[in-house]
Amino acid sequence: MLDYLRLEVRRTLRDVGFVVGGIAMPVLMYLLFTNLGADDGGWKTGAMVGMAGYGAVGSALNTGGGVAEDRAIGWLRQLRVTPMTPRQVVVGRALTGSVTVLPAILAVLAAGGLLNGVRLDVWQWAAIAALLWLGSVPFTLLGMGNGYRLTGQTTGVANMACNLGLAVLGGLWFPITLFPGWLRSLSAYTPTYRFAELGTSVADGHAPALGAIAVLTLWLLAFGSYAVLSYRRSGRTV
Amino acid sequence: MSFTGAVKNFGAVRAVDGIDLAIAPGETVALLGRNGAGKSTTISLLLGLNDPDEGTVRLFGAPPERSVRAGRVGAMLQEGRAVPRVTVQELVSFVARRYPAPMPVARALQLAGIAELAGRRVDRLSGGQTQRVRFAVALAGNPSVIVLDEPTAALDVEARHAFWASMRSYARLGHTVLFSTHHLEEADAHADRILVIDRGRIVADGTGEQLKRSAGGSLVAFDLAGRSTAGLELLPGVRSVEVRGDRARLRSDDPDATVVALAGLNAIRGLEVAPASLDDAFLALTAQVQEAA
Repeated sequence: MLDYLRLEVRRTLRDVGFVVGGIAMPVLMYLLFTNLGADDGGWKTGAMVGMAGYGAVGSALNTGGGVAEDRAIGWLRQLRVTPMTPRQVVVGRALTGSVTVLPAILAVLAAGGLLNGVRLDVWQWAAIAALLWLGSVPFTLLGMGNGYRLTGQTTGVANMACNLGLAVLGGLWFPITLFPGWLRSLSAYTPTYRFAELGTSVADGHAPALGAIAVLTLWLLAFGSYAVLSYRRSGRTV
Repeated sequence: MSFTGAVKNFGAVRAVDGIDLAIAPGETVALLGRNGAGKSTTISLLLGLNDPDEGTVRLFGAPPERSVRAGRVGAMLQEGRAVPRVTVQELVSFVARRYPAPMPVARALQLAGIAELAGRRVDRLSGGQTQRVRFAVALAGNPSVIVLDEPTAALDVEARHAFWASMRSYARLGHTVLFSTHHLEEADAHADRILVIDRGRIVADGTGEQLKRSAGGSLVAFDLAGRSTAGLELLPGVRSVEVRGDRARLRSDDPDATVVALAGLNAIRGLEVAPASLDDAFLALTAQVQEAA
């Protein structure tokens, strides 16, 4: 299975679309958003976590795009006639997602620390990276749910819609304090807002609130069930 | 491998309609049928990709899925396309390592005739090269049985020849090969045994020679030059006699004996002997089923 993980990670990193859209874009957007207009130190840190989160969500969803592509070209079916078990394939895919979110997270954090002068304690850097990494699991599952259910093209569109919609609603691009009141209360229930909250609370020097973990866990269960249902449904056609 | 009364429906369509067959180790078998005859469904049952609705399918005496997990089977499925963003070497060695006793990757590439493409990206190869990469993937694990679903569809003549040369060298190692095709010449040229499938049933099973014979034998034609046709149907091997103008056309199961007998009668004028074509045999066999239906 490690072998499969290595193969799929390699394939993902060779995808120019992934490298540009999933790693370079969040870094550029972060630098752009934080270096235009008035500067208060807090925004550079908050936006860093938000954009690292945005990059992680995009990369996690991208795993689903890979699944849809591999279904379409018959590669998943080909794997079914090798000794690999279906479980190894699906777990290997999920692990691929958890590896490929790392470049985006690390790249944006590096841009924050090296180019934007964000100063945090070592434990904070480590904790933010680790929490964003773990917190991206629900989004990998959401992407896989799309990938196993939809065709290649619709998966791309669905992932893009999920990515942009959740990113904006969850305040990964702009702080939700800019939102009208009703939208702000909606944001509090999005997985992306709670996901970024894991990082921002550490940046503020305290542990994430229980509420954040509770909401994110509910989303983990929801997206996990969605992925399992999609996977079961695809079993007949893969 | 064996099928016993296997039936598979997709909705209202009966794709496989009661197949019984057994294939011994070491055979090279062609599954011949027109498009939609049930070839791919038969293969998906054999590989455990689908379960039969009725009857049983066994591979090495076990359910197909178990034999696949044990690494005894390699397959080249229909409509598989190039896997993007991997090299030939990476792809084939990845698949090889899934099997308990794979062949060296270099050997698999050599058998598939793509040794020089090892470092190339699979998604940047031509159609024929991609097809041979998929063949290398099927044999990389050194499985005892290899199943090829329409392996030469969409290949040009040259690529086709190269492909069959690769397949034969693999079969010569003593492996069992089952391939499906709708090309009669391919089945005839490359298989020891041909299974003709039509409307989900096996309608004929034998060597190409046997199938041709069952369709009415070879044609022996000669000029009568005024001779009477009486007694021609009694000559050795002759099954039927047809006269067109001054020319007699005999269908013979044993054209050699027929010709010798004709020579004995001093009747050889403008002699023509032509083997029955497999086309004739195929049309005759599948037509019978249509009438019965």
